[in-house]
Amino acid sequence: MDMNRRSFIKSLALQSAMTAAASLFPGVGFGSNLIEDLSSGSIQWQKAPCRFCGTGCGLLIGVSGDRAVAVKGDPNSSVNKGLCCVKGYHSIQILYGKDRVTKALVRKNNILVEIPIQEALDLIAEKLKATIQQHGKDAVSVYGSGQWSITEGYTASKFFKGCIGTNNVEANARLCMASAVTGFMTSFGIDEPMGCYDDIDHADVFVTWGNNMAEMHPVLFSRMLANRKSKPHVKIIDFATRTTRTSEAADQSILFAPQSDLAVANSICYEIIRNKWVNWDFVNKHVTFHQGKINIGYGTEDHFSFQDQAETVDFKAYEKFLEDYTPEKVEKISGVTARDIKYLAALYGNPDLKVTSFWCMGMNQHTRGTWINNLVYNIHLLTGKISTPGNSPFSLTGQPSACGTVREVGTLTHALPHGVVTNPKDREMAAQIWQVPVENIPDKPTYHTVEMFRALDRGDIRFMWIQITNPMVTMPNLKRYRNGALKNERFVVVSEIYPTPTYDIADVVLPSALWIEREGFYGNSERRTQHFDKIVPAPGDAMCITWQMIEVARRMGFEKQFPWPKEKYIEPLWNEYIQFHDDPKHRMAPYPELKKRPGVQWPFVNGKETKWRFNPSYDPAAKEEGFDFYGKEDHKAWIWIRPYEPAAESPDTEYPFWLNTGRVLEHWHTGSMTRRVPILHRAMPASYVEIHPDDAADLGLVNGEKVKIISRRGSVVMAASINGRGMPPRGMVFVPFFDENYLINEVTLDAFCPISKQPDYKKCAVRLERV
Amino acid sequence: MKENNPESNTNGNAKPGRIFLICIGLCMVVLPFVIYSAISHEPEVQITQVIEKQDQPIDHQVKSLFDAFTETSTVYMDSISSERTLSEYYSRRQYPGSPPLIPHEMTAKDEKGCLTCHAKGGWAKEFKRFTPVTPHPEKTACRQCHVKPLSGELFVETNWQTISPPLLGRSHLPGGPPPVPHPLQMRENCVACHVGPGAVTPIRVEHPMRGNCRQCHVPETTSALFMRAANTSGSQHTP
Repeated sequence: MDMNRRSFIKSLALQSAMTAAASLFPGVGFGSNLIEDLSSGSIQWQKAPCRFCGTGCGLLIGVSGDRAVAVKGDPNSSVNKGLCCVKGYHSIQILYGKDRVTKALVRKNNILVEIPIQEALDLIAEKLKATIQQHGKDAVSVYGSGQWSITEGYTASKFFKGCIGTNNVEANARLCMASAVTGFMTSFGIDEPMGCYDDIDHADVFVTWGNNMAEMHPVLFSRMLANRKSKPHVKIIDFATRTTRTSEAADQSILFAPQSDLAVANSICYEIIRNKWVNWDFVNKHVTFHQGKINIGYGTEDHFSFQDQAETVDFKAYEKFLEDYTPEKVEKISGVTARDIKYLAALYGNPDLKVTSFWCMGMNQHTRGTWINNLVYNIHLLTGKISTPGNSPFSLTGQPSACGTVREVGTLTHALPHGVVTNPKDREMAAQIWQVPVENIPDKPTYHTVEMFRALDRGDIRFMWIQITNPMVTMPNLKRYRNGALKNERFVVVSEIYPTPTYDIADVVLPSALWIEREGFYGNSERRTQHFDKIVPAPGDAMCITWQMIEVARRMGFEKQFPWPKEKYIEPLWNEYIQFHDDPKHRMAPYPELKKRPGVQWPFVNGKETKWRFNPSYDPAAKEEGFDFYGKEDHKAWIWIRPYEPAAESPDTEYPFWLNTGRVLEHWHTGSMTRRVPILHRAMPASYVEIHPDDAADLGLVNGEKVKIISRRGSVVMAASINGRGMPPRGMVFVPFFDENYLINEVTLDAFCPISKQPDYKKCAVRLERV
Repeated sequence: MKENNPESNTNGNAKPGRIFLICIGLCMVVLPFVIYSAISHEPEVQITQVIEKQDQPIDHQVKSLFDAFTETSTVYMDSISSERTLSEYYSRRQYPGSPPLIPHEMTAKDEKGCLTCHAKGGWAKEFKRFTPVTPHPEKTACRQCHVKPLSGELFVETNWQTISPPLLGRSHLPGGPPPVPHPLQMRENCVACHVGPGAVTPIRVEHPMRGNCRQCHVPETTSALFMRAANTSGSQHTP
């Protein structure tokens, strides 16, 4: 990074001022006053949403010269009110790893060599054209990310669906949010939570469903702790398959056997009905009952397809169905005592308590992910605890713009920025806004993510452009998909910022602008859209990914669709995009409004944000009395009959342990960014396998000893962690997936929810061997 | 096997034969039960054992931290005093992290007496100052580690040297949360030493109401930086 003389002197002065200050005030860190003094001259503060999880904390980035040097929580952001977590506070250090990709690279004789970026873009355009000519439109694909800025996802959709004419558009949010989406669509007919983070300040009871918020959504978690501290009656119940930091903070930790959350959720509803805790006023007015297919499979085979079918039933049928789920019966499936099930039901059923349920990957990465989302909504619908402050079934997201980009722009094979490809009206709308012939947009979805990588392996797909994601660490059953990507006649373009296992398989690497190195928008878990300016320059040839695609699209003859100059293309893209959402159910804030504020919640109607949807007191789109679930044609929320069905692969005598995978506080996803932040790497340098002390004793393992984890698909050797960060129950092991040196996804299974097509990373069978 | 002829044991040693016979007889009695139970076993009725709450300490006894946060009153958290200094703090210790000695007269004979003041802290009338709080009140044999010096004299002089206490203000970024500079063993409960009027002034936090301390303050377990392992992806491509 170039540093001119002035900014160098400035930063020297800053450093010496800080050193002097630190010796004068040897306090905890640098006291807040000190920063204010410094900011008066040398540091400029600019707003940006955090780069990491879906919480979407507002940050203030301190800039000195052309470098980001400090971070504060934005006190004006209603999300985090000035607080961050350790990742957020050190987030700007992700910009400055020494091995940053700054030049375009192309593979020659199996080695990636530098080329001018314009040549790399020429090559990509030629390769796209040649592949389409030789193998057809559906042989090229783009695989993006919930870390895409909204304009990046929007450009990818317009370019691939509208211009090229293929529905081969997917994003890694398929691996993290798809079940949440299908859960919302099947229960409410419209995506994204009805509530907002203010629910945390209003609720009396929190139930975390397989959700270790203390590490994964720490800022929301401490907001919950603060609520409990100010109101001693507030309770936090951790309902999980393993003991974590969240369980330790909770008033009650309840452990269940993997997959049995389905049975427990039904059992809670059974108890609510049995004890006459049903809110009949609400149910009669706003709820209808439905049933879908059963024994729906697991998708482990190529070309798997499934289409659910809804059948309307009455309350009697639902009540009858629940007879299989008495607490006593469910105790035997779930390992949760009937007493605890009744306790949970009593909390949900008590009309005087406001209850908020939180979940994230535990429920979404589930071979019955759609079902368990439906079942938790059932609980809230039976009791009418929804769409009012503190009563909130709340699906959290893991990526900064999983909602904003993937879900709202619809960068999935079946979706469009408004609606789905199968709906002629939605195709017409897209064609009209995109200025392309409507025939360009195919009316059938192609491949969801797992099937897209299978297609790459089979050779149905020959070209894949991977943007801001690291599938060579995150795909389940990873070996197959890596070997597939490495086959001859496959061309993989990777837009990256650092060398990763995905970079390792690339034919072309495009150096990319990261986060605040370009202008962009993220959308967080609570329907909040957040704009950020380009705050610092991108290093070397690194280019905004939106612009990378525009350059390639123009080379393929789509100048008319992408006419904007390099100096100003983000704002026009935003203005074009929000035409798709121009109705009171989904209206987005205009550009100047977003630029001004730390974030704006949609629907944004008549200059007002909507905090609680479906509730006429807050939501201008809700017209009916009481509540209006306008997503469904009948304006009702749907309660679903969804049974318990076992996992795709359960432990047996040969593979006697469950393998569960997940994340840790310090690292974000595959660690390609956070591992380059000194404090985060130093706190969490390597992955490990958590094992119950008794299981460890049976295997003769002590803490830190190496153990081999073997499944039917692969194996990995790593250090055992006993009484470490978390503790699985007997018969389960847990591995964080951030560490590319221990690819646990070579062990996991590529089974997925047949409705959402989201893989289950939390359940497969392994055996352990002492090494 | 079952048609073993009882007559066969007339030839040869009678005693082992009789034992053999008894065994056979037992087998014949037990066998039907074994077969019955094998047939009647229904594999689909797999009963999951109740999964008990796991009460083992994890994550550096993080529970003690959350408990302390919940139990410490807001009033206490908001109070400050400036009388305890770092030099006084280290003067009680032989090395950073050693158990501090007892600097005052003992008023209670009972060892549990220590905890009446040091478990929760607060104003100590007899000393006219705020009491420091122990981070490990669950350990009740206080004087196993904490002793009261009765004399200032040494038996012989010592060449003892120690390391310097950890530097303060080690934030990686200006305004950033500093990492935890000490091992967490026996000091898992951040609230005890870093919150309230009993805390040493330079290490008292300004924001005790945030509860989940280790969401921002992480211990450093290595001084190394991240390095990619060579050929980690198992790919034959070597960039």
